[in-house]
Amino acid sequence: MGRIIVITSGKGGVGKTTCSANLGMALAKLNHSVALIDADFGLRNLDLLLGLENRVVYTALEVLAGQCRLEQALVKDKRLHDLVLLPAAQNRNKDAVTPEQMKQLAYALTKKYEFVLIDCPAGIEMGFQNAIAAADEALIVTTPEISAVRDADRVVGLLEAHHIKTINLIVNRIRPAMVQANDMMSVNDVQEILAIPLIGIIPDDEQVIVATNRGEPLVLSDNFSMSGMALQNIAQRIEGKDVDFLDLDAPYDTLFSRLRRFFAR
Amino acid sequence: MDPERLRGTLASTTPTSEPGSESESPRVAEVQLHLEAEDGKLLLYLPTPSETVLEWGDLCTELQKQLEAGQRFWPPNTLVELVTGDRLLDHRQLQTIVTALSTAKLHLTRIHTKRRQTAVAAATSGYSIEQRAQILPLAQSTIAQFNLNTEKKEVAPLYLQTTLRSGAEIRHPGTVIVMGDLNPGSSIVADGDILVWGRLRGTTHAGASGDEQSQIMALQMEPTQLRIADWVARAPATVPDQFYPEVAYIAEDGIQIARASDFSKNMTQP
Repeated sequence: MGRIIVITSGKGGVGKTTCSANLGMALAKLNHSVALIDADFGLRNLDLLLGLENRVVYTALEVLAGQCRLEQALVKDKRLHDLVLLPAAQNRNKDAVTPEQMKQLAYALTKKYEFVLIDCPAGIEMGFQNAIAAADEALIVTTPEISAVRDADRVVGLLEAHHIKTINLIVNRIRPAMVQANDMMSVNDVQEILAIPLIGIIPDDEQVIVATNRGEPLVLSDNFSMSGMALQNIAQRIEGKDVDFLDLDAPYDTLFSRLRRFFAR
Repeated sequence: MDPERLRGTLASTTPTSEPGSESESPRVAEVQLHLEAEDGKLLLYLPTPSETVLEWGDLCTELQKQLEAGQRFWPPNTLVELVTGDRLLDHRQLQTIVTALSTAKLHLTRIHTKRRQTAVAAATSGYSIEQRAQILPLAQSTIAQFNLNTEKKEVAPLYLQTTLRSGAEIRHPGTVIVMGDLNPGSSIVADGDILVWGRLRGTTHAGASGDEQSQIMALQMEPTQLRIADWVARAPATVPDQFYPEVAYIAEDGIQIARASDFSKNMTQP
């Protein structure tokens, strides 16, 4: 039986889909079989990030309506053979599926795939309820902003209410220089509020935009950027390996910045 | 046919290599809300709950979109007859339809229904009622069209003057003509041909009930995916630097795209 992990955040635009695409790819690169489910019905994006948009023939909705078999709807990745995507329908909205149906799909996939990652839509309405219905673990993605953290906190509460106990935190888009200068919440500040185990810190990186537009997730390229490396490490931690966190502060922890911090106090 | 004239770079169009090409085509036996002109009046077909999965709210949005896209083709103050089959409509829902129609300068006159409650609601609002299903209910008529190829040709083409944006889906048992663009994420499923006077960047499925003679034409062909009958093709990975009006059709080895100017000269078959 595979593990079902939902990637969620509450707030939109913090990097759920980017994390889903990259973690899916990274796990597949570590020789696990991975199925990605796009639960964002009506506003699907995961196929774009994976560069699989033009291969989508059937969607989850057609599977549920019995118009095709589950295997037919799974889009195989062109680069990694152990990765498949179950696309969401674009012409419908979140009410088109029920939590019960999402469970069916996810459970069917766990029989064949070691990891089933569900990309949750923003918000806490029907789409969110659908996405978390089948999950036994959750990854919370947040950025170091009070609004994102507030929403993440609410989501953690909801997840706990749905008996999802394994919840890990990814802090995305951190800028070490700004943290050093006390202009941005630090990972510790975020963790202090959310109080859930940290599984990864991803620095802000322009390469993400490039990768998104190309449909080639960061972890695919051979020479990793810092953010690609951070994502790769998260995948290893999901596997259960003990990997040290990247030292993002190193380039910024100069004598000058130390002095400035000293006097700022 | 001269192969050089074809943009033969369409990736893998063989039926065996694509998931969608297994004998069953990806069409849904779903009926869409649509308007049809007949003898100077318009018939508005509202699918019954058994014919559509859309909720009432979605149907209203759909109606608004169709009214907007087709507005140019009907003279103002055209009379509309509503065909609802056995769908239950209450007073308020009826009013929603009337309001939507009147913004498009159309007037509801008569309601065809099988349900007594709907008839009562309509009568109290002052519309004339046809409680016997005098007009062939939509489900029967469309199923007949799907089954009989000869009858299929008689379905009037659907003209739309609009930009189809992501998420929009048009289904029609005949030919679809769009004056406007198809954005990525939108789709057209037609039993006949598909003509796009604009940029085609979405997904189109011509000949959805199996007609391999169907064609897809566009001024600028940049599709996400093309489907004709049971065949699927992806667009080439490299985007051409110049666009011409092009035609997609089924050749011996799958879907091919030809420049429109060459296509008419070279094609021997219709």
